[in-house]
Amino acid sequence: MNCQVCQLKELEVESFEIREVLRCILHTIVFHRALGLIRPKDIDLELFDITYVQCGEIEVEKKIDDRIEHFISWIEKHPNKKKTQLCVSFYKAKSKQPWYASKTDHRSFWERWYINLNVDVVLHPTKSPVGNSKLVMDLGDASEARSCRRKQLEQSLQQVLFQIIKFVNDKKDHVPPPINDDREIYCPFEITITSASSDSTFGKDMWKRILLNSGHPSMIS
Amino acid sequence: MDFPENLPSSSDIGRLEQIVSHFFPKALHIVLDSRIPSLQSRGRTRDRNLNLKKSDKWFNLIMGDRPAALDKLHSWHRNILDSMIIDIILIRDHDHAETVIERWVVQYENPLIMSPQSSDPCTRYQKVYKKAIILLRSLYAQTRLLPAYRVSRQLSSSLASSGFEMVYKVSSFSPPVTETMTEFRFSPVEVPPGRLCASVTYRSDLSAFNLGAHITLPPRIITDYVGSPATDPMRFFPSPGQSFEATSSFHGRAGRGPPSERPHSWTSGFHRPPTPNQSFSPQFSPDFHCSRTDGGDQHQLSPPFSPSGSPSTPRGSNSPRINVRPGTAPVTIPSSATFNRYVSSNFSEPSRNPLPPFSPKSTRRSPSSQDSLPGIALYKSSRSGESPSGLINHYPAHKLTKESKYDSGRFSGLLSSSGSPRFGFSRSPSRLSSDLEDPDCSCPFDFDDVDESSGGLQYSQSLDRRKTSSSISQSLPIGRKSQDAAVGVLVQMLKTAPPLRQDSSTYMASSMSGVQREGSSVSGTESEFSMARSTSDALEELRNYKQLKDLLLSKSKSVGGATRVH
Repeated sequence: MNCQVCQLKELEVESFEIREVLRCILHTIVFHRALGLIRPKDIDLELFDITYVQCGEIEVEKKIDDRIEHFISWIEKHPNKKKTQLCVSFYKAKSKQPWYASKTDHRSFWERWYINLNVDVVLHPTKSPVGNSKLVMDLGDASEARSCRRKQLEQSLQQVLFQIIKFVNDKKDHVPPPINDDREIYCPFEITITSASSDSTFGKDMWKRILLNSGHPSMIS
Repeated sequence: MDFPENLPSSSDIGRLEQIVSHFFPKALHIVLDSRIPSLQSRGRTRDRNLNLKKSDKWFNLIMGDRPAALDKLHSWHRNILDSMIIDIILIRDHDHAETVIERWVVQYENPLIMSPQSSDPCTRYQKVYKKAIILLRSLYAQTRLLPAYRVSRQLSSSLASSGFEMVYKVSSFSPPVTETMTEFRFSPVEVPPGRLCASVTYRSDLSAFNLGAHITLPPRIITDYVGSPATDPMRFFPSPGQSFEATSSFHGRAGRGPPSERPHSWTSGFHRPPTPNQSFSPQFSPDFHCSRTDGGDQHQLSPPFSPSGSPSTPRGSNSPRINVRPGTAPVTIPSSATFNRYVSSNFSEPSRNPLPPFSPKSTRRSPSSQDSLPGIALYKSSRSGESPSGLINHYPAHKLTKESKYDSGRFSGLLSSSGSPRFGFSRSPSRLSSDLEDPDCSCPFDFDDVDESSGGLQYSQSLDRRKTSSSISQSLPIGRKSQDAAVGVLVQMLKTAPPLRQDSSTYMASSMSGVQREGSSVSGTESEFSMARSTSDALEELRNYKQLKDLLLSKSKSVGGATRVH
């Protein structure tokens, strides 16, 4: 099946911003793919002057929060990794698979979204201060730099949201039609952690992704 | 005679027709709900799918009860070929300068040549519907991302005047905006024989308006406060055409609530047969009343598909006030000028659809001289009407004058209704609904909901106001310091007082809290507290407390019922 792929613009985030940024992006994506009867919910971000929309489904919210927490704990275990990537994959279940087919084979992925994050675990404020005044100045510079960085991230996040809207507008044919059924409000999806950096753990991540795609998230250490 | 297989069947046409006809009000609802607080929907947070209106299920996006004003706004949009242009305008208070900060355009473009339909007719409308759903999802998300959303929230949440007011204007055509704006075009959705298009043009930078800079006025005490939606939801003024404040101040309608309808500026551009519950005069009139407070039966719009309508019935017969659009249509919509603009009754031929009457005040037109073309609905947002405190629901007289003057002068073209049907949209609704129940095709949307009685344009008449905390206890903190100090002394004395019986101590605690609550002056009793040293003294104090408490409670009962702010 034709699988559309969208690579979202990379965002430089600090670790405490990951949760909000990911919630915003993931919910926006799912909102556009929850074609069943929904009651949208507007959510204001706390760190940024942005309002995004959730589809209002509790299961979706739980799933997304769960995956975000998983991602954050993964980040904490891999502090050396700066560039990370999350993949949101929408699929539909295939029928009539042979008995030896893996779980992945039962899923026909029709869309993937790659969320690219450049995670700054620690924002280094300054070099070692020479004197008090310098310390004050450096801290002031640091806070100014931080607010400037925050503003840039806000603009980038908005651009990512615009990017999502543009993509969902441009490509509609591949989306399966909504089922007029209360049980399936949104298209089934999975969120996996991929990695864009090419360090020694890349191969391991590859295996992890394969295992994740097979539907056993517990296999991720 | 064999018809080409790829031509849409009559049932397809009906379904596609419905998609288009429901798309416009839904888009209108989404945009205005996010920009104009007075038009925000109630019932959005209700339990899932309980008592959902059929119209709300369209495009699988529950927006809540559609305010009456929105239905009226859309009622003029009969011809699906007409664009629906929604302007979001910022008006500066001191000089009434208007700036269009956002323009949404929804249009059904109809090509001259029908494109061949290659897909299976049964699934065609499903795909179309799916794409329309996605389009509306993205439109919804976009409304939250654009700068006007923040501005709207800011204006509606600020307690003091920010110096600006956000209004909206809905029309079929508008002069092009001259400012530099950014445009975003949503990808059109092919809805045979045409396509649904939506776009938004917006100012990406609103910092020039200094919206935050005006919030410096101190809160005013309204001496003749007569209530607000916060204190009495039944007195809510849902009228989109007026500011809440003006209505409440000038019509003394505190007990009944302001009319919902006046002040619709667009009403003056339309003819509307006066109903018992409405009087559509462009001026404020004591005959107006709030249709919403009545439970809204008076504004039940008839369904988009009238069972008695026939395709060839000219709309004019039912709505004599609809003007024929002149041949010289504005260049902004060149495509529409070449088409026959007759609209079948299927789309919205309510047999009892009350259109607003033309008003003599509509002589004042915009410079674009669309004099003969009624149709713009110009409304004010009620930014301060949303204030829970109600402190600012009071506007001076000049505001009202400005408003009526402003509202009556905005009209642009509407739709014509002459001519004969051109496209395949000429089915009678009764046939339509029966065809739509074709069991062979599973519909993604409920066609048995087709609106014989309710229609996509019907709405619940319930008020949509959020019931914020009522009793505005904005009484000035008179003697608050001494009260606090006195309470502190009381507490101290009670703590050091000799132990009493359990019930006595409990009583004293409650009476003390009563004193705290009421906030009345207790300084008079301070001197007595220092003497409580023995049980008898304590009992004496207890008696005093009791008396004080009773007094305060009785006072609070007499004061608490009023809504005045002193």
